[in-house]
Amino acid sequence: MRIVVCAKEVLEPDAVNAYALAGRLVIGQDGKTLSQAAIPRLMNAYDEQAIEAALRIRDAGVDCTIAVVSAGPNPADVLKHAAALGADELVAVPFDTSQTDCSGIAALLAACIRRSGGGDLILCGRQASDDDQGVVPAILGELLDMPVITIARELSVRQSPDGPVVRVTRVTPNGDETVESALPAVVTISNELGQPRYPTAARTIAARRMQPAVVSLEELALDPKELQPKAALTQLFVPTVQGNCEFISGETPTETAERLLERLRADGLLE
Amino acid sequence: MTSDVLAVCTWDASVDGASSEVEELLTLGRRVSDALGTELRWLVLGPWSPELAEVAATYGVTGIDRAQSPELETFRADVYVEALAQYCARCSPSALLFSQTFDVRLVAPRLAGRLGCGVVMNGLGLDVDADGRLRVIASAYGGDTRAVYVFGDRRPHIVAVMPGAVAPAPAASSGAGVDVRDVELDLTNVEERVRVVEPARAQGPRLEDAQIIVAGGRGLGSPANYELIEQLAEAVGGVAAASRPIVDDGWADPSRQIGLTGKIVRPALYIAAGVSGASQHMAGCSAAKTIVAINRDPDAAIFRYARYGVVGDCLEILPELIRAARTR
Repeated sequence: MRIVVCAKEVLEPDAVNAYALAGRLVIGQDGKTLSQAAIPRLMNAYDEQAIEAALRIRDAGVDCTIAVVSAGPNPADVLKHAAALGADELVAVPFDTSQTDCSGIAALLAACIRRSGGGDLILCGRQASDDDQGVVPAILGELLDMPVITIARELSVRQSPDGPVVRVTRVTPNGDETVESALPAVVTISNELGQPRYPTAARTIAARRMQPAVVSLEELALDPKELQPKAALTQLFVPTVQGNCEFISGETPTETAERLLERLRADGLLE
Repeated sequence: MTSDVLAVCTWDASVDGASSEVEELLTLGRRVSDALGTELRWLVLGPWSPELAEVAATYGVTGIDRAQSPELETFRADVYVEALAQYCARCSPSALLFSQTFDVRLVAPRLAGRLGCGVVMNGLGLDVDADGRLRVIASAYGGDTRAVYVFGDRRPHIVAVMPGAVAPAPAASSGAGVDVRDVELDLTNVEERVRVVEPARAQGPRLEDAQIIVAGGRGLGSPANYELIEQLAEAVGGVAAASRPIVDDGWADPSRQIGLTGKIVRPALYIAAGVSGASQHMAGCSAAKTIVAINRDPDAAIFRYARYGVVGDCLEILPELIRAARTR
């Protein structure tokens, strides 16, 4: 069975937030590109967890190859990390993704998956930590005509008389829900899956020798209309938060607590 | 000539009248349809209640499109996506707005994929730009940054709006009666590909409905101290919640998580103890009317959002708060 994991390179979200909070986030001339060289680029953490989910399926004894696909201006670093984590195959689609939108990326990934050997199970992070949109996996599922199961904390694959089946535990607002679907399917992975493993030294060294298969945009033969943004990003900005915090203190914690409760009662917030 | 239609879509809104998310959505729909000069219709999928027509009139909805096939009785993703696709084919709305729930996060982008149109999630504001194009301000980078998206020609424009993004405001003139129209959809042949083996079972009171929430974060120091959050919640008649780091570490159940990847809440009172105020957390609670922050670090981001702040160790303050709240 072939498991395909889609991975995206993002700017380190904590660094972006630290600059934003300090009022020092630099937004480029175009009004929508973050250009600070000091902000590290890395694999979207949810995508890393999607790779971890794939590795756990392999660890459970399922005979599979794990292919990691990345589209972006420079997919090499993300794919190198994927190899170090344990991916068997790497597929790179070098492309200036700022020229399109989530629908375009999904179309590109769908074409790439079709052309590079297909997939029985497509795993994606629940959302990217830059735009937070979380729509690519769902669109991808529609384009590949596969069911989509979102926000997984656990998944397993088993054989049934009718073919392979994926069982997924989803984190819903009402607690865990367990669902099943025949493969092929798209599953998105949430942070509740737990920490991904660290690359071992041996794997990291071996990963250096792994070369990604490079797929050009021309090879994908996409209709240019599919890459045309349907909802185009035009601007990024940092909203201002007006703080008006009144600090409450006392000689002792007891006094502080009593003063705080007094205020909340006076405001009618507590009985 | 038929005029353009902007549609807002809900389901499960009829259980106990309209919820505030629906009222927010209708308010936003009214504003945008006024700006675009379109008719505002409300698509109600599944269970129906007559009170919805009254809510529609209050918020200036022109008409309700009601789809009540037996297949829509409970939410199922494949059936709902197909229902929405058929509705769009039949009524060609220029835009379709949703309030962003767990299920909408799946359904809205799938619908966009099926129809080949654009979709924007995490909407906090919607307006029409100088060229008459629909524009969405959405939360990005966990909530500290805003991204602005402008829709192209391809319709419908699909937008999911975060709960609490706008304050509900009834229409200035409630106009004539709302026409309720039944939409016939053919859903008999839709095969649901995902089967529920074990349904989710909600435990305890819903955070989304709570008027008082007490949330704990890493500042609690250890898993055992989460008990202090539960005790304070009980003492003030509220519900206990948690930040993502302590949920990831297993101190609290994921169903308690507040934030962009957890629950979006808007209680009257939100007490955050040992929570730093990361944007991803604030995205889930910044709609609270009053935020109280207890944190050791006077520079913690949470104090920028808080109405009242206590600089101190929450392990010292919480037991005193519990005691003081109980003695009332």
